[in-house]
Amino acid sequence: MKRGEMKDPRKTFGEAVLAQAEVDPRIVVLSADSSSGSGLSPFKKRFPERHLEFGIMEQGVIGFASGLATTGKVPFVAAIAPFVTSRPYEMVRNDVGYMRQNVKVVGRSAGLTYSDLGPTHQSIDDTALLRTIPGMVVMSPGDPVELVKAVKAAAEHVGPVYLRVGSPPIPVLYDAESDCPFQIGRGILLMDGKEVTLIGTGAALPRAFAAAETLRSQGIGVRLISLPTIKPLDRELLLAAARETGRIVTVEEHYVAGGMGSAVAELLARELPTPMRMVGVGDRFPPSGPYDEVLRDNGLQPDQIVATVREFLKA
Amino acid sequence: MLKAAEELELKRKALQVRRNILRLIKAGKAGHVGGALSMAEVLTALYFRVMKIDPARPDWPERDRLVVSAGHKALVLYAALAARGYFEEKLLDTYGSLGCRLPGHPDMHKLPGVEASTGALGHGLSIAGGMALGLRLSGLPSRVFVVMGDGELAEGSNWEAAAAAGHHKLENLVVIVDRNGLQISGPTVEVMTYEPLEERWKAFGWATRRMNGHDFGAILKTLGETPFERGKPSAIVADTVKSKGLPFAEGKVEYHYWKPPAEELAQAERDLAEIERTLG
Ligand SMILES: Cc1ncc(C[n+]2csc(CCOP(=O)(O)OP(=O)(O)O)c2C)c(N)n1
Ligand SMILES: [Mg+2]
Repeated sequence: MKRGEMKDPRKTFGEAVLAQAEVDPRIVVLSADSSSGSGLSPFKKRFPERHLEFGIMEQGVIGFASGLATTGKVPFVAAIAPFVTSRPYEMVRNDVGYMRQNVKVVGRSAGLTYSDLGPTHQSIDDTALLRTIPGMVVMSPGDPVELVKAVKAAAEHVGPVYLRVGSPPIPVLYDAESDCPFQIGRGILLMDGKEVTLIGTGAALPRAFAAAETLRSQGIGVRLISLPTIKPLDRELLLAAARETGRIVTVEEHYVAGGMGSAVAELLARELPTPMRMVGVGDRFPPSGPYDEVLRDNGLQPDQIVATVREFLKA
Repeated sequence: MLKAAEELELKRKALQVRRNILRLIKAGKAGHVGGALSMAEVLTALYFRVMKIDPARPDWPERDRLVVSAGHKALVLYAALAARGYFEEKLLDTYGSLGCRLPGHPDMHKLPGVEASTGALGHGLSIAGGMALGLRLSGLPSRVFVVMGDGELAEGSNWEAAAAAGHHKLENLVVIVDRNGLQISGPTVEVMTYEPLEERWKAFGWATRRMNGHDFGAILKTLGETPFERGKPSAIVADTVKSKGLPFAEGKVEYHYWKPPAEELAQAERDLAEIERTLG
């Protein structure tokens, strides 16, 4: 992967699962009529006997994944994000979380990705829901390199994982894979600065990145952190950022309520109260429309993020 | 045919299971008694005759599994596991205490022999289906049994699981529906009918049978014939009486959950003593 190259995250995800399945025979894929749209057609072709189809059955498929995990399999269940999170929430909470099963739930086309399909298909509450589940790791990689590493880490981690993946093409942000020290529970410092910290996650990361570059060109000492794991949070990195920059701005394609910004705020409120701004979706069902315009409607475009940061610095 | 001596032994075990249920209720001062008592014979048969298990090795990969999907039947599960020697019976006396290993609905991480953490109705069949699929993928001959309530069948998630089990031809999966005819608000057919019950399962690709859920001869014969058809999961409708064994409570909707006054507890003990007397 080359820096700046645009990648379809679903395709990258599917390739990463396939690569992992080549070395880990425990991996099985469960589809709720959702594999092809999740980039898993190559997996199905390569391992037809490990690809289990369930049809449009998102509650049932989570229970089946849990049962499969009790027999030592490592099930990946991938579908449109709301349909594996809010739809079968109780199954994820009880059958995967409470039962502590080694299931990887993958919500793809998460966030505002399906902007044009409207609120039924947008997934802007999944982080809020799933991070309340004890023991659940919540991952939200923001570039293709992070995504590949997240899939590997999810497969190797013993325990429930929620992996949040978008679908519009995203740019490679790292010069080399080795520049991305991905680890569950670790954030990644992308730019250093002392005036304000910008934190991006998932599909919002590239826009936070673009905003940070603009701010830097304007002479603002911005620190940029990628947060590919929302739970557990990288406590040290976040506390250091709060201490050293005194201002935090979070950016995510999610409700402000309960999302990554909330998770950061919960940590800081307890340990180091710090002024914050949270860029994300407010308390409403967003309009449907072209992705770029819906992002703008929610203040998620780079120039809007820049404006939010500049106002914050004046406040 | 079940030999008389063998049947007597099983009846004694079922009595022990009922005594354990009562012991739990005494400790916790309340519990879901009706649907526990209606499954006393079925769980006795499963744990003492039918399932390939080893209480000393609850994690043995080749074991058969029982998922009690109607998790409020925890009392009969705990009672049977204790009777079968998965843990000491005196643990039953901790029921209802803070942080005890026997919560009101079973937690698989708290007790050996509990295969799934249930309690929210309509989850167990999918979990069991996944187990059956996983066992088949691993080339193991083990089977998975599921106990469900008849009221529970109103949950749509069950029918997702039923369809998937039929589609995937999970021959190693056996469902037993406790057809005691009652749920919380009244008779099940009035609250939300499930009839025609057997036809529903058949339509989802299952082979079905009906049996008297209190008659060991019928239970062992029926379970002994599973899978009823090659390439199909098996569903058994067990005709039972809710609160079976306590005549004052039998078939009465009020005894779904029981917080027994002292005199009823004493009556229940006399009723079980009477069963013991008739067994000789
Ligand atoms: C999802 C869910 N909804 C409601 C309940 C509350 N509840 C517990 S038992 C019960 C009735 C169950 O009736 P049935 O399945 O017939 O069980 P049985 O008669 O064998 O006790 C209900 C509604 C629950 N445990 N889970
Ligand atoms: Mg009932």
